[in-house]
Amino acid sequence: MTRNNRFLLIALAALIVCLGSIKLLQQRRAAALEPIVLYLPLPHPYCTAVGKGGEAYSRDHGVSVRVVVGQESTQANVSTNIESLFTLGYGAFAVYPVDPAGAKGLFHRLHAAGRHVVAYGAEPERGTETPFAVATDTRRAATAAAEKLVRLLNGQGRILDVLESSTDANTPIRRSAIEAVVARHPGVSIAQTVGDVTTEQKAREKIESALVARGDEIDGVICTGYTTTVAAALLLAEHNRRSGAKRIRFVGLDTDERVLAAIRDGWVDATVAQNPFGHGYLSCALLDLLRQGWIPRSAYTFVDSGSVVVTRENVDSFQGGIEKATAEILAELKTKYLRAPAGG
Amino acid sequence: MSGPAQIPVVPAPRTSETDGPRKRFGQRDWVSGRTLGLILFAGVLMIVMSLISPGFLSAQTFFSQSRYVAFYVLVALAQAVCLAAGDLNLAVGAVGSLATVALGLSMTSLGLPPMAAAFAALALGPLTGWFQGWIITRLRIDAFIVTLSMMFVYLGLRSGVSGGNSYPMPPSFWWLGQGSIGGWLPYMALLVLGVLWIVSFVYRRTVFGRRLLATGSNPEAARLSGIDTRRMIVAAHVLSGTFSALAAVLWASWSGNAAPQTGDDWLVISYAVSIIGGTGLKGNLISPLGILMGAIIFKLIQHCLVILRINDNFSNTLLGALILLAIVVDRAREHLATPTSARETRPRAETK
Repeated sequence: MTRNNRFLLIALAALIVCLGSIKLLQQRRAAALEPIVLYLPLPHPYCTAVGKGGEAYSRDHGVSVRVVVGQESTQANVSTNIESLFTLGYGAFAVYPVDPAGAKGLFHRLHAAGRHVVAYGAEPERGTETPFAVATDTRRAATAAAEKLVRLLNGQGRILDVLESSTDANTPIRRSAIEAVVARHPGVSIAQTVGDVTTEQKAREKIESALVARGDEIDGVICTGYTTTVAAALLLAEHNRRSGAKRIRFVGLDTDERVLAAIRDGWVDATVAQNPFGHGYLSCALLDLLRQGWIPRSAYTFVDSGSVVVTRENVDSFQGGIEKATAEILAELKTKYLRAPAGG
Repeated sequence: MSGPAQIPVVPAPRTSETDGPRKRFGQRDWVSGRTLGLILFAGVLMIVMSLISPGFLSAQTFFSQSRYVAFYVLVALAQAVCLAAGDLNLAVGAVGSLATVALGLSMTSLGLPPMAAAFAALALGPLTGWFQGWIITRLRIDAFIVTLSMMFVYLGLRSGVSGGNSYPMPPSFWWLGQGSIGGWLPYMALLVLGVLWIVSFVYRRTVFGRRLLATGSNPEAARLSGIDTRRMIVAAHVLSGTFSALAAVLWASWSGNAAPQTGDDWLVISYAVSIIGGTGLKGNLISPLGILMGAIIFKLIQHCLVILRINDNFSNTLLGALILLAIVVDRAREHLATPTSARETRPRAETK
């Protein structure tokens, strides 16, 4: 037998003995784990706000929440990290379904193993095994944004519709919501739709190209994604600031500080604020109640976390409205969405 | 599966892959020194993790983690077969993405039963590989440019055809990715072990496999010795496409959904696992067992980051650093194992 082969056999035998001994010696008690995991797909302002919601719930109710941040916003990365947490023994998960349909397998696995799982941020596909999804109503938010833009245009004008990732399941919903609003207003039409944007840089390039090519035709811009909103707000603030330039109206989505600053200064018009804090806070609250034995009133419930149109008038006070919506939903959890545990 | 398949660059250094002074006639190493190092590293990681996490040594963990290992092996093979032939494939993930959309479309639009749709999607992999290989060899364009361009072509096609929509897989198709024997041994892992054995056999025991490696070792010498190197390059890309498509089909079955964004993060995985697994970046060397160990190490490191509660925002940094460390240690081990005389002659041989 060669030296390598002898060494391999010894190494494998040592490994088996080591692992076997560790398994035998390990105390049966489980490691102390936080009862709830709030999983954030990647470092991102939206995710940071969701995480703050989870931490606030932990502080307010004395329930430990482990906030975990993933490396990429892909379903594969979400699944691999959640499975690792699952094998450690965590019992309750708040998960952002990066791919609303692709999360089905992961949710099925967690549910089948008796773990609690709540979706936040986006609605998973019908049939996914989760009792709750805490999210902004995508269609309603896109409709509100489009209607706000139509009002800003006084019912007359041509719109540049900027969509985000073409592989995001919310994109077709947003697109159809905007088209439905435009169809209701004969004086408004879509001059061009640009999409397949995943980064701020790509968004800037595409929007700038469209504005350079058809700037005279475009009266308003609508963005229904975070990165596109930031890029468009910065570009339009630059454009509208120029003396003599035609004022291009704008409505975006999400509340990046740069977008809020542009609204505050009056260079762009509005954005639709979602409730990421509520996504984190409410999903942790639901998981906590499920852990305590509370029973969902139906197999699946969509919890609309609310959205607010932010303009120059309410740019410094809209957060109060969002927090009020969160408090109202929280107060309703035990009556509207859950039933008390038997004997509770 | 045994040690790496390699056509030595002349003059061959005396390493564990070649006969050493301690070996007797007819005796062979079951694994190479390089793979042995990987096994040891993986073993140490397992011991550390089982000490840290009481739940690590469980059937549940094995089931969960072995599926990822199996998946990473396929993604890495898609890159490794090209690297071993002296080429590369930047479209590994994009081919997977396209195969996923083909799988979804076959079921929803064409109404094919799941397994027929799976075979249709699998057929797309070699087809894309053949097309890439054909352009590279016939038009004599660098593989980097061709596969980079084709990556964008495929990504555009998947977005355009799918419109960003996912295709739900019927539960009757979930068994392949979610099923197991005894609740701990996934079918996926068994399938991939079978694939690895076949790959190992092809590279070590068949003329075709040796020709692939010879092409990766020195294409000019291979051509002069009568090997149709252009055909070998095409074959490597066909194999690569097949592995990508197989990974895509398994992922769709596993996640219960054919999502067009499948494959977006495969390129990094394909390189990381292949390189950790000892695949030669300049061709000539592939080790199926090494790739398996590379996938295990890659997954264990990821699992370790979660267990150790590494600051999440820095986890990518740590992952990258650990991969680099594994490669540096491996190169150092290889350097130390090579006699000085061989070290001095090797660069001259490579530059010729």
